[in-house]
Amino acid sequence: MNKIDIGNKEITITSQKEIYIYDKEANERVYNIEKDVILKVYHYNFDSNSKIVINLNHEKAEVEYHYSTINYKDNNLSITVNHNKKNTISNIYNHGVNILNNKLHFDICGVIPKNIENCICNQENQIINLTDGKSTILPKLLIDNYNVSSSHSAYIGKFKNDILFYLMSRGISYDTAIKLLVSSLLINSGNDSEELNKFKEKIENI
Amino acid sequence: MLEIDKINVITKDSKNKILKDLSLKIDDGEIHAIMGPNGTGKSTLSKVIMGNYKYEITSGDIIFDNKSIINLSVDERAKLGIFLAMQDPTIIDGVTNSEFLKTATTELTGERINYFDFIKGIDKCLNDLELSEDMIHRSLNKGFSGGEKKKNEILQLKMLKPKFIILDEIDSGLDVDSLKVVCRNINEYLKENKDTSVLIITHYPRILEYIKPDYVHIMTDGKIKKSGDIELAFETEKNGYIGINDVRKKSSNE
Repeated sequence: MNKIDIGNKEITITSQKEIYIYDKEANERVYNIEKDVILKVYHYNFDSNSKIVINLNHEKAEVEYHYSTINYKDNNLSITVNHNKKNTISNIYNHGVNILNNKLHFDICGVIPKNIENCICNQENQIINLTDGKSTILPKLLIDNYNVSSSHSAYIGKFKNDILFYLMSRGISYDTAIKLLVSSLLINSGNDSEELNKFKEKIENI
Repeated sequence: MLEIDKINVITKDSKNKILKDLSLKIDDGEIHAIMGPNGTGKSTLSKVIMGNYKYEITSGDIIFDNKSIINLSVDERAKLGIFLAMQDPTIIDGVTNSEFLKTATTELTGERINYFDFIKGIDKCLNDLELSEDMIHRSLNKGFSGGEKKKNEILQLKMLKPKFIILDEIDSGLDVDSLKVVCRNINEYLKENKDTSVLIITHYPRILEYIKPDYVHIMTDGKIKKSGDIELAFETEKNGYIGINDVRKKSSNE
């Protein structure tokens, strides 16, 4: 797949693409995906709001979206995936870490209208609160067709004490254990990009 | 090396008393085994030595190398050289075995890793433990068989080089061949590190045929009720723990 940088607010994807994004300010984007095109996005977000709309406008259009965010203040993520044609696929993975007593809100919506069949529409959401932050997830599936495959999951919580105990029992300090776990949650792909390196610096500074 | 001095331990959530005036002294290079029925506090003892968050020491002390450790954090105890091979190693999805070992090695030594030595060391340990090479790149303990989990604990032990080892039911879930591999590796480590002490927690004397203990202790109801040599383990296997209690009651009546 080709790798491209994205600065546009609206982009039409006409061939296979792998996109890497690093944002540290509020961001909004619309992706229009053409026929037979697979789009993979690795979106690293630092302490800002994100609003994303993905339109699967043609048959066999497919999106795999990995959204990772670190938050110190209140932030929202909104992702809407519109399955506008049959035989389209979306897999959305959203992982966030709340550092302070702030609020992180995920509003994730997959939309499949009545006449659109044979679609796959999945979403997986996780938010880890490192302190007593309050977070919410709305994992929505607005599906009006029986002939689809779909799933959603949402987890909000802290890193388990048993996991921290195991890591620390091998001499790893609490702070390093947290960074190790945050990295494993937020960096779930093997890509090596400039955007990822910027994001890794933010993890190091937690 | 390690001296447990009359500790009383409760669980933090339910305040249940688990360990009662328990004392135990383990000198440099000694191997001790603790046996006892289910729910008597053996695993709790291992976790308390390591500093697990679930337990509170209400009285008594744990001295390691002439220094009280009960106010030290878990990682500080590990940095002193205490290692707990766990009965049921925790699964940590997303953290690879190699990343975990690199981080632990760096934190324990305080030095940057020499990658050549590190990789060479890992390869040797994998080979010694008859583990496949790919498991070093898999998420920590995720999808590992029972035997792989236990062998992975020993792999960590060999890489991190502790001086006091607690083996909490390392024999459970291991087939005969895997048990031999695990015990052979522990014995080799002890041969190379003669001052290293070991506390073995087990239900069965089988592991003690491979790793010979200097002392065997029988623990029931949060206390060590009887101590002896390896014959005590075989006696227990023959008569059961009830037998041990009967012997003790009889001797205390006398």
